[in-house]
Parts: sequence; C-alpha cells; structure tokens
Amino acid sequence: MAGAAALRRAARRVIRPLVNASAPSRTLVQPERLLSSQASPEHRGRAIVSGSELGLYPPERIRNFSIIAHVDHGKSTLADRLLELTGTIQKGHGQPQYLDKLQVERERGITVKAQTATMFYRNTVETSESHGTDSPSYLLNLIDTPGHVDFSYEVSRSLAACQGALLVVDAAQGVQAQTIANFYLAFESNLSIIPVINKIDQPTADPDNVKAQLKRLFDIDPSEALLTSAKTGQGLSQVLPAVIDRIPCPPGSCDLPVRMLLLDSYYDEYKGVICHVAVVDGAMRKGDKISSAATGRTYEVFDVGIMHPELTPTGVLYTGQVGYVITGMRSTKEARIGDTLHQAKSIVEPLPGFKPVRHMVFSGVYPADGSDFDALSHAIEKLTCNDASVSVTKETSTALGMGFRCGFLGLLHMDVFHQRLEQEYGAQVISTIPTVPYIFEYGDESKVQVENPAALASNTAKRVTACWEPTVIATILIPSEYVGPVIMLCSERRGEQLEYTFIDAQRALLKYRIPLREIIVDFYNELKSITSGYATFDYEDSEYQKSDLVKMDILLNGQPVDAMATIIHNQKAQKVGRELVDKLKKFIERQMFEITIQAAIGSKIIARETLSAMRKNVLAKCYGGDITRKKKLLEKQKEGKKRMKRVGSVDIPQEAFHELLKVSNSK
Amino acid sequence: MGCSESEGQLARTVVKLFLALKLQKNGLVHSSTLIAHPYRIDSLDWIVLLVPPGPLGSRWSAMLRSALPFVFQFPHRKPPPIRPRPPPVRRYASPPAAAGSVPPPLPPSSAYVHLPFCRKRCHYCDFPIVALGSSSPSPRGEAEDPRIADYVRLLLREVAATRAVSDDGVPLETIFFGGGTPSLVPPRLVAAVLDALRGKFGLSACPEVSIEMDPGTFDAAKLRELVGVGVNRVSLGVQAFQEDLLRACGRAHGLAEVREAVGIVTGCEGLQNWSMDLISSLPNQTEEMWEESLRCTIDARPTHVSVYDLQIEQGTKFGQMYTPGVYPLPNETDSANFYKMASKRLSEAGYKHYEISSYCRTGYECKHNLTYWQNRPFYAFGLGSASYINGVRFSRPRRMKEYADWVQKLEDGTWCHESITSEMKDMAMDSVMLSLRTAWGLDLHSFSKSYGKNLTLSLCSMFRPFVESGLVIAMDAERQALHPSEFELELDSENKGETGSRVAFIRLSDPDGFLLSNELISLAFGIISP
Ligand SMILES: Nc1nc2c(ncn2[C@@H]2O[C@H](COP(=O)(O)OP(=O)(O)OP(=O)(O)O)[C@@H](O)[C@H]2O)c(=O)[nH]1
Ligand SMILES: [Mg+2]
Repeated sequence: MAGAAALRRAARRVIRPLVNASAPSRTLVQPERLLSSQASPEHRGRAIVSGSELGLYPPERIRNFSIIAHVDHGKSTLADRLLELTGTIQKGHGQPQYLDKLQVERERGITVKAQTATMFYRNTVETSESHGTDSPSYLLNLIDTPGHVDFSYEVSRSLAACQGALLVVDAAQGVQAQTIANFYLAFESNLSIIPVINKIDQPTADPDNVKAQLKRLFDIDPSEALLTSAKTGQGLSQVLPAVIDRIPCPPGSCDLPVRMLLLDSYYDEYKGVICHVAVVDGAMRKGDKISSAATGRTYEVFDVGIMHPELTPTGVLYTGQVGYVITGMRSTKEARIGDTLHQAKSIVEPLPGFKPVRHMVFSGVYPADGSDFDALSHAIEKLTCNDASVSVTKETSTALGMGFRCGFLGLLHMDVFHQRLEQEYGAQVISTIPTVPYIFEYGDESKVQVENPAALASNTAKRVTACWEPTVIATILIPSEYVGPVIMLCSERRGEQLEYTFIDAQRALLKYRIPLREIIVDFYNELKSITSGYATFDYEDSEYQKSDLVKMDILLNGQPVDAMATIIHNQKAQKVGRELVDKLKKFIERQMFEITIQAAIGSKIIARETLSAMRKNVLAKCYGGDITRKKKLLEKQKEGKKRMKRVGSVDIPQEAFHELLKVSNSK
Repeated sequence: MGCSESEGQLARTVVKLFLALKLQKNGLVHSSTLIAHPYRIDSLDWIVLLVPPGPLGSRWSAMLRSALPFVFQFPHRKPPPIRPRPPPVRRYASPPAAAGSVPPPLPPSSAYVHLPFCRKRCHYCDFPIVALGSSSPSPRGEAEDPRIADYVRLLLREVAATRAVSDDGVPLETIFFGGGTPSLVPPRLVAAVLDALRGKFGLSACPEVSIEMDPGTFDAAKLRELVGVGVNRVSLGVQAFQEDLLRACGRAHGLAEVREAVGIVTGCEGLQNWSMDLISSLPNQTEEMWEESLRCTIDARPTHVSVYDLQIEQGTKFGQMYTPGVYPLPNETDSANFYKMASKRLSEAGYKHYEISSYCRTGYECKHNLTYWQNRPFYAFGLGSASYINGVRFSRPRRMKEYADWVQKLEDGTWCHESITSEMKDMAMDSVMLSLRTAWGLDLHSFSKSYGKNLTLSLCSMFRPFVESGLVIAMDAERQALHPSEFELELDSENKGETGSRVAFIRLSDPDGFLLSNELISLAFGIISP
C-alpha cells in the first residue's frame, strides 16, 4: 500500500508540471514541433501518454470513427491491422481480434461489446489537407462494433461518439442483412461513410459486384470504395488517409465548459466504475468536479485518460477526444449510458443521448442449485455493471425458488449473458422459456405488460378484451432460388410481406413484419437450414399488433409448473403443447410414482402424457459388511436428486428446462 | 487366585445360563430368543453367554446341546420378530449441542474372515479373489495348493497382531467365512483360523459359524469335518438351477454338482442351518427358469435363502458384455418381476422376507449379517475385507502383496487404525441405510434419541407421501401397521411424546418398497445431509 502510494505521488510529481505548463498554452504550441522533439511517432506501445501530448491534438487533428459491418465480415481483424499500423499494438503480439477481450467473444469468435482504442497516426500519403513530408500527426479513435443483430444497440451507441464509419463488406459475400441495418444506422446519424470491401484475397471475391450492390442499395459511388484484405494487408495503407480525408473532425468547442457524452461504463474490481466518454466541448482534467445531467450528482475526477489500447492515464481529455474517466461513482447504476456529464455548477444543454434499450426477450434466471441465490444475485449485480443492456428484476417461482426476470436484446444476448455468468462468475443457472413482452387489455380498460407468463392468471377473473404482441420488421437477404421456401417460412410464422426486391442478378431482399415471438428462438436457424446457410437476417423493432393469445400451463400430476408457463398464439397452442409434453416425458426421469404431464389452456387439457412409475432400484446385500461402496452410490444418487428441481413431489432435471427452451417456439 | 481362569469363566457361564434359563421358564424370555437372538433381552444386557476357549469350550457346547435340545431345535410358533440390539448410542442421548461426538463404541462380537480362493472367477464377480486355475488340486482337496496354506498363515498373523477391543473378553457370537470359495480351504486350516479367533477373542456358548460353499468343491466327509471343527451354518452358492445359466455365469460347476451338494448338505448330521444362494436377472434368464429355480430351492428346504439381483460391475466380464436393462439382460420391469416372484413364492413356502435379499425360516436369520444391518461393530480378517471397529470402517488392501505388507506393518506396530471418528450425520446415514434394508425397519425412538427429534420428524415427513402410496409402512410400538391417515395425524400433532407420535417404526414394504430401496434411502440421505 505504502509503495503504491509513493509511486502515485512520484507519478504526480512528474505529470503535474507538464499538465500545468501545457494546458493554458495549448493553442499556442506548434503540435508538429513539440511532437517531434518530445516524442517520436513510435512512442506508443505501453508508454504513458502525457496530457501535454494530448494537448497537441485540437479537434482538427482528431477523427472519431466506427467500424461497422455484417457479422464476420472482418471488423475486428481490420481493427487489429489499424492498431498495428499505428504501432498501438505490436504486430504478432497478443491474440488476433485484439479488441475482443471477453472470454465469450474469444470462444465464439464474435464481438459482443463495442471497444474503443485511441491511435496516433502521421499521415504520409498526400491528402487535400496536408502536403509533402511534414504532414501532421493525428489522433484517431477507432470503435470496433459487434455485427450481430442482438447487439445493434452497441453499434448505435458507438456511432454517437463518431463522425464517420468504415462500412466493411466481405468481397465474396457482398452486402448482407446487417450491412443494410448498420448502414442505415450510420446514415441516419449523419455520419460520413467509407465503404471498405474487405477479404479481397479470397478466391471468390467479387469486388465489382459488391460495388454495384453498394451503388444500388445505398447510392454509394463505386469509386469511393476501398479494397482491402485485413488478412494479407493489401490496400490497408489507404484506410487511415481516407479516414482523415473524408471524415470530418469532431464539432465541439474548446472554449465552453466541459460537456461530454457517457458512452459506456463498467466496473473494475480495483479501480471502481470506469466511464467511457466522448468530450464534446471543453476539457476535463484530473481533480475537476463534474456533474451528471441525469442524476444531478457531482463527482471528482480521480483519473482520466485514453484507451491506448489499454487504459492509459493522461490527466486530461480535450475537446473531441474519446477516453475514460474514473470518479467516485460507486455503482454503474450511477453511470447512465447516454447521460451528459458536464462541468459542475455550470448549466449546460444535455446532449441528445440515445434512445433507451428495448428489451425484446425476457426470461427467468434461477440458480441451478436452489441454495445459491445469494451467489447468483451477486454475480448478476456484478455482470450487469458491465452489461447495462440487461434489465433485471427479482421474481419468485414456486418451482424454482427465488430468481430474476431478465430482459435481453435477443437470444444471442441471453446466451452470452448466461455464458458470462458461468465463466466469469461461476454461476450455474436455469433459464425459463424466453418470452416477449405482451400487453393484455382488460374489461376495465387497464393494460398490463406481461414479461413473465406465470404472472398472468390462468383463469382470469378480469376479462381480457384484447392482447397485443410486439412485432419486428425483418430484413432477409437470400440467393433468389430460395425465395419460395423463405416466403413459406415467413407466412408460417405469421409474417406479413412488406417488400420483395432484387439487390443484384442473384440476390433478393425480403422485408416482413413478423411477430417477435415467432423469430426469437429458432427462426434464424430454420432460415439458414432452408437456404443452405446463405440467408442473412436482421430485424428492428416495430409496433405492437393485436393478436389472439392464450396462456398455456404445463401441469405435472395436476400441479401447474409456473416456470414452464408460456403465452402463445391460439392457433399454435396445440402443436407447441404437444411438443413440450413430449420433451418433458423424455427428460423427466421415472420416479416412484406415475407422473402425468399435461399442457392446458385454462381448464382445457390440450396434450397429455403419462410417465409410468419406476419399478426397481435396489442393491444386493452389503457383502462382507463392506458398506462404503454402496453408501457412496446412494450418496451419489442423493446428489443427483439435489440438482433437480422439485415441483410438488416431482423432480425435474435441469436438462428438462434447457430442453424446453429449444421447443418453446412455434415451428 | 483360587481357580484357573477358564474355571472362573466356566463358573460365570453356568451362573448366567441358569439365570437365563430361569427367566425363560418364568416366561420372561423366550427360549428361542435366548438362543437365536441373545441380544433380544435388552434389559438383560449383562447376560452374556460365555464359553471358555479351547476344548473345554467345545465340550461345554456339546453338553449344552444335548442337555437342552429344545433350546437348539424347537422353533416356536410365534416368536417375536427380530429386534436389533439397542443401539450403542443410548447413553449419549445428549443435547444436540454435542452433535458430532460419537458414542463409546461397543466391542465387536462378530468376525468376518475372507478366504479368497476360487477355481476361477465368475463372470459377474468383482470381489477380491485368487483364482487357483484349472491346474489346482481336485475339489476334494487331497493335495492342497500351497497358496492356500500360505494365505492362511498370513491370516493367522493378522489375527494374532490384532488387538481385541475389550479386555474383559466379549466373545464372538458370529463368525463368517466368506470368499472366494471358502469350501476350497481344507477343514484343518479353517479349524486353525477358528482356534486363533477363539484364543484371541473367545467364542460364545453357541456362536453362529457360517461358511460359504460352492457345489463341486466338497464331499460329505469334508463337510462333516467342517462341522466337526465348529462350522454350523452353510451358505451354498447355487445361483441357478439351469445348466445354461450356470455356464453363462462362468460358474465352475454344473447342475449335477448342485444336486449332489444339496444332498450332502441336507444329509449332514449336526447341520440344521443352511442357506441357498440364488441370483436373479441373469442374462437370458426367463420367467420360467426363475420359477423353476425358486421351486427347486423350496423343495430343497433350506432354512435360509439369499436372492441376489445381478449387479453388473465395471471391470467384470459381464461389465464388458452387457448393459443393465438391455437384452439379453432382463429389462427393469422383468427384473422387478423376478424380485416379486421370489418374494411371493418364498413367502408362500413359509419363509420370512426379513431383509431386502434375505429370506429365512422363523428363527434362522443370519445373525452375522444382522450385525451389519444393525450397524454394530465387527472384526474382519483377510484380503480386501472390511472391518468396523471403534466407529471406524476400514478396508484391507485387495491385492495379496499389499495385504501381506499391511499385515507386516500391523505386526510391527507401524500401522494403526486412523482415529478419524465418523461424523454424526454419517452415523445417521449408516443407521438409516442399513436398518431400512430389514423388515424390522428403522426404530424411530432410538434414532430420535441418537440424532434428535427434528431430524426424525423431517425423515417422517419426507416419507409421508410414500406411506400413502404404500412403499413405506409406519408401525406403532407393538409393530402394528398404522393407516396412512393415522401417520399424517400423528405427524401433525406436534405436542405428543418424544418423537411426537405413536409411530415407532418405519420400514419399506415388501416387495414394492424394497424394490425402490435405493430411491427411498437416498431421499433419506438428502434429509440427513442436505
Ligand atoms: N481471407 C480473409 N479472411 C479474413 C479477412 N478479414 C477477416 N477475416 C477472417 O474472417 C473471420 C471474421 O473476422 P472478424 O474480424 O472476427 O469479423 P467481425 O466482423 O469482427 O465479426 P463480428 O464481430 O462477430 O461481427 C476471421 O476468421 C478472420 O480471420 C480478410 O481480409 N481475408
Ligand atoms: Mg468483431
């Protein structure tokens, strides 16, 4: 402790004079000269970046951009190359997709969380702004974003900190569903878009076709497209010059009191709450007092710096820069994403912020071992500190005990959440059948949003006059030969066709309005399997529509299992009820009595199965008095029982719950 | 000292016998109880039938036998059911704060002796055995295999190096020679072991001395000889009455040997008590075959029948060949049916189903095995055998070399029983696991005294649905079955006596509860050790 304190004091002694000296004279200093005398362009790496260095980059020398694309088109790999090119990370050191830091991301090879990195770059290619050899150095903030539709919220949040985006398109696969979705996100945010046709090293690469698609879909001039291979490095040198050239610098004003957008926050065991911010106006220094526009609370800035690519203290952040700040915030709940942080005691106009996250899917999360509620509670609290896009409320189930109702952006998000709970916090969970938020309207005109089917009374005293379910607008891109089956699938899923066009000679674009419930579980898998994997799919939320919904109960020996209740379209109830009952029959083990498994709507049984009683489980005698082995066997059996969930007298294995997730959607 | 030690013991024995017989005459103690269940006389714990060691002792037993033939031979029409000796924990029914302490252990009065030799390994067997192979001497044992004598020497060394738990000479009441195939061991070596045990621990007046015998490994003379040295109970490993099944099991004998062996055993004078061992759920076994085996068993009129359900163990030949429940093994339903058939047929023939896999004529329970089920201590000697002494269970090495090394250490005094005393809940689990195997069941009063009223009540409420469904039977102190509704009632009323109810015993029903014993016992485990 004493050592650490001494170190900090020493560090302050070094940094403070620099900060003090550089700050007031900031605009007077010639950036080029200072940079060349104090630090060579190769200074990055692990070295501490001083506040005075940051001072060398006024907004004109700053570019903030995101990399957006369809899943797997190479965003994170391209980010690697750019980080290497600028010396921010060393080539060949560290893992590929450097910015995918979570274990889930590494295992699944996908990006889940947007990540920011600051790079310093000296433009050596001639541009319209600078000429010749003595080109200025730039500070570039790169934000790598996820491609999967569930995480499009991360994309829109990232875009709010940017003035431009690299729209990456796989040269062989061409424009896909998320390319379109992300293009529109960027376009609507008025960002400058640089099309990057990547993976041109692939034998099936067809950049010209991609250019044509871009022209046709987005009216992008083919000459604007950069051709790259993030794998071989081909074409990469044009990327950053294009960023500098085509993306405007951040707009803010240096002279105003500090005002910044809170982009993201997470909790660090040692440092506390770390906020990612984009400084829009003014500058923020260590020791400053800042306030939250949302909560009105004031904090002292303990630490401030940039992600280069790891947290690198600078003591200051200037206008247009993106970095982190650590204050005395105790919980990420205080750090509301989209909030405006500003100089304390000043009155500022809050920044536009983001539209709030919309939770598409809800599911109960329960400790797999009933006694572990506290551990789970702790884990969820910690994890939601780092994933604010999950909503969490406590709930209780008779079958599963105490747990949480969680709202997710989609099923992948839910999956990732479970995986992170397990990997990062060691929490084993049982998750209930995911449901979408329905709205029920009663005779007295009251409306209730139902996120947990169990909360809806099976035999309602109040008469339900109308039910509403959320819908989405789905965009599906497919080779034209699959149009037939895909239209079939969509109509089976109660979809309503909105658009049917061709994006080029071979590929069609379909747009449907589909009830959210119909796509959350297995729609994409089904779509992929009927199109040999060629379909891509994206959706955005749309309005609620009236629907004929019923609550379906699952009963074991006549007793409803609240955690297995679902809300479902009347027409699909029979079929889904049958499937659920069959699945349960398969996964519930025989017990010492007969078990009836039923699916019911109100008092009407729509499916039924019987599981006959176990007949025999007995051990031969304890030979020679050696009871230890038999005892171990029985203890093992006891442990097995402990892992099951008991409803009434019926033990339900955890797999049964997991299996139900798979059928829960109507096919 | 006025008289020699053996004379002193003799005098004590006489006094005690007289006392016991007086009690019996006055109707205080049933004679059959006295002999078959000496521990039945709870209030008379101090009556211990002592027989002096050595030839004097044998003479005395013989005298007693001829003097009191009725005591030995007359089974009584309605003898009381087997009742376990009061649990050892009685005196320490201390407040729950003392939980974790262990009762002062009783000295063992039983000994298991492992004689591991077999002609060859049966396909289902995973016991520690030594297969002598086909080159081994003839079954009648004229020229004996030196390995047997070597082993018995080792065994005798173990006995000699073992310290008796009590100094004041609690004699052995049961001895069990298990295997292996103990009948391969020459009778004089069996006698040597018996002598060693007698010398070390003393034998009671009429100990139960059992030996396992396989058809084809003995003749009338050999059996007579064994009986002559003190063996009085035979457990005959017949397993099946079908030539094909015997072969499929890898048994070293055929049907002819079975018939011959049954003849020898039933014809042996001085041997009334013998058990027939059967195995059900063998590969390709049909209902008809099983019916036939049961009929042949009943016809042979053994005093005891053990019916084992085939267990497929890893590492056995059967383990490689078969999967439980999958053809040619019977499926769960068929194998449950075999169990029920045995229960029905044997009960009809007058056998009591007194333990999950044991049946007997009245008064012929295997006392040695009751020791296990009543969770009482016992010595064990020999390769791979498990003892339970001073509250500690210990299994000896299963390999000969390691066993020999271990005996050496025992002699050198460099090995001692680890004094890790088992935890309270382990004892409670043992008690439940073992007692629920028996028809006598779990004595709730003594369980409650030892492990607390709350635990007992929790167990009862866990069993409640099974009392209703008939898998579990609740009984009052008179062992009258309680109607499920009475059981409910009793449990609900909190302010009753010690256990809060009239329920005094809980047992598993026959055959349905027995058939699901693993399920029911593991549920009880979940209550004891959540
Ligand atoms: N051949 C070739 N493969 C590439 C190129 N760029 C990326 N890849 C590979 O494409 C795969 C996906 O790359 P990522 O960088 O993880 O893609 P992403 O767009 O970040 O994916 P998400 O974050 O999940 O949306 C990886 O296996 C990369 O090695 C390229 O230029 N050429
Ligand atoms: Mg990525």
